[in-house]
Parts: sequence; structure tokens; C-alpha cells
Amino acid sequence: MLSEIQNLNRDELLLEVTDLKKYFAIRRGTIRRSKGLVKAVDGVNLFVKKGETLGLVGESGCGKTTTGRTILRLLEPTGGEIKFNDPEMGWVNLEKLDRKGLSAVRPHMQIIFQDPFSSLDPRMTVERIIAEPLAINKVARGEQLHDRITELLRTVGMRPEYRSRYPHAFSGGQRQRIGIARALALNPTLIICDEPVSALDVSIQAQVLNLLEDLQRDLALTYIFVAHDLSVVEHISDRVAVMYVGRLVELAATDKLYYSPKHPYTEALMSAVPKPDPRRRDRPIKLPGEVASPANPPSGCYFHPRCRYVKDICSKETPPLIEVEPLHFSACHFATELKLRGVMG
Amino acid sequence: MNQTSGSVSESTVSIFPSEDIILKVRDLHTYFFTDIGVARALNGVNFDIPRGKVMGMVGESGCGKSVTALSIMRMVARPGKIVKGDITMFRKKKGADGKEPAEEINLTKLEGMGPVMRSLRGAEMSMIFQEPMTSLNPSYTIGDQIMEAIILHQKVDEVEAEKRAVTILDGVGMANPKLVVKRYPHELSGGMRQRAMISLALSCTPSVLFADEPTTALDVTTEAQILDVMRDLQARINMTIVFITHNLGVVAQMCDYVSVMYLGRIVEQATVDDTFYNPKHPYTSSLLSSIPHVGTSQKERLMPIRGVVPDPYSKINGCPFHPRCDQAIPGTCDVYMPGLTKVGESHTVRCFLHSDAVEESNAQ
Repeated sequence: MLSEIQNLNRDELLLEVTDLKKYFAIRRGTIRRSKGLVKAVDGVNLFVKKGETLGLVGESGCGKTTTGRTILRLLEPTGGEIKFNDPEMGWVNLEKLDRKGLSAVRPHMQIIFQDPFSSLDPRMTVERIIAEPLAINKVARGEQLHDRITELLRTVGMRPEYRSRYPHAFSGGQRQRIGIARALALNPTLIICDEPVSALDVSIQAQVLNLLEDLQRDLALTYIFVAHDLSVVEHISDRVAVMYVGRLVELAATDKLYYSPKHPYTEALMSAVPKPDPRRRDRPIKLPGEVASPANPPSGCYFHPRCRYVKDICSKETPPLIEVEPLHFSACHFATELKLRGVMG
Repeated sequence: MNQTSGSVSESTVSIFPSEDIILKVRDLHTYFFTDIGVARALNGVNFDIPRGKVMGMVGESGCGKSVTALSIMRMVARPGKIVKGDITMFRKKKGADGKEPAEEINLTKLEGMGPVMRSLRGAEMSMIFQEPMTSLNPSYTIGDQIMEAIILHQKVDEVEAEKRAVTILDGVGMANPKLVVKRYPHELSGGMRQRAMISLALSCTPSVLFADEPTTALDVTTEAQILDVMRDLQARINMTIVFITHNLGVVAQMCDYVSVMYLGRIVEQATVDDTFYNPKHPYTSSLLSSIPHVGTSQKERLMPIRGVVPDPYSKINGCPFHPRCDQAIPGTCDVYMPGLTKVGESHTVRCFLHSDAVEESNAQ
């Protein structure tokens, strides 16, 4: 994919994912024989520029979380390439690294989880939670470790006196700040934010989103922001990738994707977002049926059974992700012909 | 300053003509008597619900939205208790021409688990919950659960009840309703489960439906389908819906009126248009500016509300919002409790910026 793209300087990139696949075997019976495959991620291509936020959206089960975790190799990829532009080592192929190689790269790639209640060990104090990555990587100890934790807590807007408390003493928003402090401990360049605000109350969401934006500016961070809330994604992302049943269907700059989408699925998603304006009540585009199962996907374009522009070719051939306009990618046979509605209708 | 007593005057609370009201809630206090103290979940809720309209209830977690609904349904479980207040329902006979005077039933005077309440729950008022997986019984089929309510309230046999269950499922847009009645909840997807849940709540065509975050656990496309179903039903059978949510987008799309709650009180009630275009309470305005508005291409910073919701065990003097309010007036907002005041034809607010009415605060 990347080789075909003009006007893209490879030095500006931080991550390049080519044909990424992650299949899970469905095992049944007493001997756990494999009865088929769930193709959770099935040939994802994307790139992330240094210092940007790439939003990754789609319905539950579309593979967005799996994509994020496979990029970090928290899950072993079934196939494909993950190239990471390490600030010290330069371009490395993550999928080829062994344990030792990975532990050298890992400090630069971190993750923030959705659920601030289950992602912090209830039996560890805040201090130990944040110290863990520093200790494992032998970055700091003693006085230095103590100071680093103080600094990190201040960075995420928490009082350093709280260091000896346990997670249960904090609210959801504060716990998410602890999770962010832990992710920041090793000065990463890339952070995968996996639904970081969806478990939080609206007013707290704003605080955490603002914090993430401040940190990005101050620490030159790059985010992959996995979320299903399209208003949050529009607010925080520079570019957005839309997934459907394990595949990328559209990838473009946020405004392009929201205002002039090039894939019928994106159009339907945009029309389904409830707009916070009582004077704009449009009925959303109806999507018949349910999301296809990644264990038994339809033929051709996975979206064709629900698409209102479907033609014969859609059920026969899988549309590749192509560059429709400069840096605007869509996997639809009719991407250039269709006149699709954006979020403003 | 004008002093109004703890029980507010009718003229300031009521923004609807009395013949349009289906539920009237006055000075409702619901407390939870827990081991660590008394949590004052509701501290004097006053509002009317108009018949055949959609009333949104918004506010941060813990503000008392769900407890209000549960109190009206008389489903507050121990250690919770309604300690004070009146809930009046104005019931109209089904099938009547609508001109007959409504029967007045004081729900707070009834036994929560008594026969009258049980005959009202399910038949006259019903509720759908956020998590369909935890509110459907996993060991009964969808059909069994819907038929149970039908048989209980409508005195029909099983064959007829199943027929009606299929019709209702079909009405909420469930694919293959005849198959679905034989299915267990775990065999359905999230969207289908929520449709089953709605069918269950609608099985006896209640006049009031409390929808407690019915789409929060769903994807946007499924959410849009469910909202569509609810809108159609509302128009078809003129149902009154109380829509509890923290999603302001859903409120804007679904509701006719909005009640904004903060710490167990309604701080503002208005038409949906006024709520979004002419909010009077600083809390309402802050809620609106704290969310990213889709489709505005805005990149400016969000304006979070300062601080956090105080815990319901603590006692706050004056207006409960004053510690987080940027416009708080020292010496007033932290001392006196603002009274509910009419600021427009169907717009009431509880704030000293708009009126100097003081509510002689009880309990708090």
C-alpha cells in the first residue's frame, strides 16, 4: 500500500502496518479440535505519522481492539508486517522480534485500557503500579524512582501525596489518570488508547480528553485512539480509520472522513450518530440485518448484504483499499462514483 | 427574598396544564440507609410528566435519575426507602375516548409489593434497563418471559399469549420473531436482546415507559435502530416515555422536554429546544459545553465541569452546585437553597442568577 502513495515521507512515519492478520481458532469437543477460524483482523493496512492521533472506529467485534493489541504484539499476529520507527534503533519489524528484541522496543510503545477498574491491580498501591514498568526496565530505583513517580503523578494532574493509596480509593477519572501515568513512565513515543474515556461520566470524559491532548503536545506523543464514540473521535483525531468485520474500509483525514466519506459504511455510521441539536432531527440511514460474523463472513465485500448501493460485483469480488483522493483511502468498488452524505447530512 | 416552604407552590412547579399530566411528583425524598451512613439520593424532587410526551432526564452518574424512576415504579429495594413526598398517577381507562376524567392514584400511599402496585407495574408503567443481558432471565426463553407478563395481566391462555408475544417482537423490528420466542437471551446479539427487553416492557402496552439508558451499551447503528423503534411506538400508541440518559445527542433527538438533575434535585426543566438553545442553569450549560459536538468540526478545548460530584453522604450548605459553579454568588449560593422558579412558559430553574426565591431547606 505504502509504496504506491505519493507525497508521503517515510521519515515522518512512526508505524506502518501491512496486511496484518490475527485469526483465532474456534475449538470444540474434548480434544479441542479446531473447527474454524475467527478472522478478527483480516488484512489491515495503515500508517501512523509521528505526533498525530489516528482514530480507529467501528462497531463492537469489528477488530479494532485486536488490531491495537496485535500492533503492540500483546497478541501474536497470524500474518503481516508491523514496522515501527524506533527513536533509537530506527525501523524495526516488530513481528520478527524475539523476547529480548521486543523488550528493547516496548518502552516506546504503551497502552491505556478502557476499564480503569479492572486494569489496575487492587492490591498494589499507586506508587507500585507506576513503579512497575520503571523497575522491570531497570530505569530508576531508590530516590530517583521516588522522584520520577512524583513527577508522573503531577504530569497527570494528581497530588503526589496519593502515592501510597490503593486504586479503590479513587474515582473512575482519577484511576484513568493513574493508568495514563503508568503508560507514560517509560517516556513512550506511541500510546494505544483503547477506549480510554468510554467508561467515564461525560464531565470526566472532557477532563481526560483534555489531559491526553496536553500530554500529546508537551511530550510529542503519537496516539492510536480506539473508540466507538464518533464525537469523541472527531474531537481528538487528525485522521480516522474505519473498520468493518476485521478489515479497514476507509482511512482519511478526520474532516474528509466525517464530511465527505467515500465508503457506504462510513456514511451509515455518520448518519447514526445522535446529533446534540434538537433542531436537526434527521432519520438515520437504516442498516438492515446485523454485523456479519468474522467466523463466517459473507462473500466479496463484507458489507454488501447491508449496503444500499450494492451491485452484482460486490458479492463476488473483495474491493481493495485504494487511494481515492490524495491520502483518502476507501475499500469500495464504487468509491469514486458514489455521492455519499457526511455527518452533516 | 421570597420564602417558599419546603413543599413548593404548585404554580412554580407545574409547567403543563393539569389535564395533560400523567404523573405528578412532589417533594420526593428517597434515602439509602447504608452501614456507612445515610445516602440522600433524592432530596425533594418536584416535577410533572406530561401524557404522551418524551421526557428526558439527564445528569451525571449518581444524580438520582434512576432512583427517581425506581421510586415512581416503587421498586426501590432495601436499604433504600422513600422517606417523604407524594407520587400521583392519573390513570385513564384504556380504550376510553380520552375525555373521561383520569383516576387519581397516590403511589406513595400504596404498598410497594402490594396488589395494586403489582397490577400497575407492567400494565400501566414499565421499565427497560441499560444492560439487557443482566435484566433478562438467562434460564427462560424470550417467549416465556414476554408471555409471563401477558398471562399475568391480560388473562389469556398460553397459545394466545405466544401469538401476542410474536406480534410484539415483530413490532419492535425483530427478525424471525417466531424463532426468537424459542431462544434464550445468550443466543441473541446485544441489539436483539434490547429489542426483546423492549418487547417485554411493552407486552401490556403501558401508558408510561421508563427507559433507563436503553442504548448506552449498544453501537451507534444499533442505537439508531432502537431509537427508531421507540419513536414509532411512541407515535403509534401515544405512550409517555421517561428517557434517562447521559447522552445529550440522544436527548436532542428523542425528547420533547428535559429535566436536568443534580444531587437528587431537579435543577432545570424545559422544552428540549430551550434546554439546548436557552439553558438557564449553569450546570446545564456546563454539561453542554463539556461534550464534543459531532459535526461542528470544532477542535477547541472542551470545558470540563470543575471538580467532581460530591458524594451523597455529605452535607452541602446552599445550592448543591455552588462549589463547582463559576457564577456562584458568595454569601448567597453557599448559604441559601434556591427555589424552583418559572422563567418561561414551560421552563423552570433553581438558581439565584434568575430569581431570588429561596427554598426553606428541609433535612439537608
